Amino acid sequence: MTAHQDTQAPSPTEGMGLFERFLSVWVALAIIAGVLLGQFAPAVPETLSRFEVAQVSIPVAILIWAMIFPMMAQIDFAAVLGVRRQPKGLVITTTVNWLIKPFTMFAIAWFFLMVLFRPFIPEELARQYLAGAILLGAAPCTAMVFVWSYLTRGDAAYTLVQVSLNDLIMLFAFAPIVVFLLGVSNIQVPWDTVALSVFLYIVIPLAAGYLTRRILIARNGIEWYDNIFMKRVGPITPIGLIITLVLLFAFQGDVILANPLHIVLIAIPLIIQTVLIFFIAYGWAKAWRVPHNVAAPGAMIGASNFFELAVAAAIALFGLQSGAALATVVGVLVEVPLMLALVRIANKTRHHFPTAEAPTTAEAKG
Amino acid sequence: MAIVVTAPAREWLHDKGGVATVRLSPRHGCCGGVADIAVAEARTPDEPKRYTRLELEGVTLYIDKTLVDQSLTVDIEGFLGLSHLFVEGVSPTRSKE
Repeated sequence: MTAHQDTQAPSPTEGMGLFERFLSVWVALAIIAGVLLGQFAPAVPETLSRFEVAQVSIPVAILIWAMIFPMMAQIDFAAVLGVRRQPKGLVITTTVNWLIKPFTMFAIAWFFLMVLFRPFIPEELARQYLAGAILLGAAPCTAMVFVWSYLTRGDAAYTLVQVSLNDLIMLFAFAPIVVFLLGVSNIQVPWDTVALSVFLYIVIPLAAGYLTRRILIARNGIEWYDNIFMKRVGPITPIGLIITLVLLFAFQGDVILANPLHIVLIAIPLIIQTVLIFFIAYGWAKAWRVPHNVAAPGAMIGASNFFELAVAAAIALFGLQSGAALATVVGVLVEVPLMLALVRIANKTRHHFPTAEAPTTAEAKG
Repeated sequence: MAIVVTAPAREWLHDKGGVATVRLSPRHGCCGGVADIAVAEARTPDEPKRYTRLELEGVTLYIDKTLVDQSLTVDIEGFLGLSHLFVEGVSPTRSKE
């Protein structure tokens, strides 16, 4: 029997370049740049906001597609064929992501924003922030989990399976969960608006990504696709994210300047939710004696958010100037440092988990 | 190195031409960052010279040179008559940014 016994993990930031390591700094700079743009050159966001079709801002839609398309274009749905290989891991991650995470996010955000922070946040604004938190809670990570998995020595094949499975579930579960939880929060959003945002920001990029992948691989081969095409297209996501944030904060300037403390207040429930979800999935995996290389990525996918989708849905449902959009951006602000802390915890607790084993069979020695 | 191809994978590969490529496929994070995921595919690589070629019970394996000193297992998985090749055992410390 060949057992995979390597216990050395990469350094906590080994798979990450300067940009992603300091994402919080760039997001903070984007907030400042956006606020300055909105205050000193208001004509820019005002002009951009005029390009609308059926109440959809075209510049924003283009930026959101730029953020989401590269992630969709790298999804290998054939990986779903591996769902039976690590059933415990998939049961944990699917249950946590879709039956627990959205509801704990709602409960925690509601308690903090609507109850505990009531003296600091006007009720209507708090409800908007709650809507943003709900959108974050309904969208588990779809791309960054590859990096978190890598940093925790996760099983790459399992990570591929869980990402493709979660993306398929997201296609059908995101809208009903969001509508239900917004309804519970007394935030009425028309079904057709939610359906339109799902169609625009999940279905279209997913279909475009899938077709692009199929066509270009058939034409140029998978290695060209991975090593040339995706290398060029992949970095568009964070660039699109930063430009979107600048634009968003050009509209949000007055809110931020009036309530700078709100960013901290929004961050508190989001941080608690991230840590809680990580430990629920990680603890469950330990109880079920799931190997660490499955437990870690299984816990990371739920802890981390697909915040591009949350930002997109918040803008589509509530507008660029909404508190919901601001709340989703706070999710971006805290994401990387928080997830790196969880990576460190996962790596330090590796010895509490069993080690993965490879199947027994013939070997080729070279 | 200890490259393992399971019996079901060997049988499946024989039907597909008896060739497999094991390579690193980069996956980009939404906040930036890249993780290389090891993948196995039933095909000859674009540039075979860049790979280490191995013969194993009628299967020709092309292994990415950065992976040849690792203990890898090539297997198949699937359901409803659909199958998919995969590889396990790649140490992520070998992945590159």
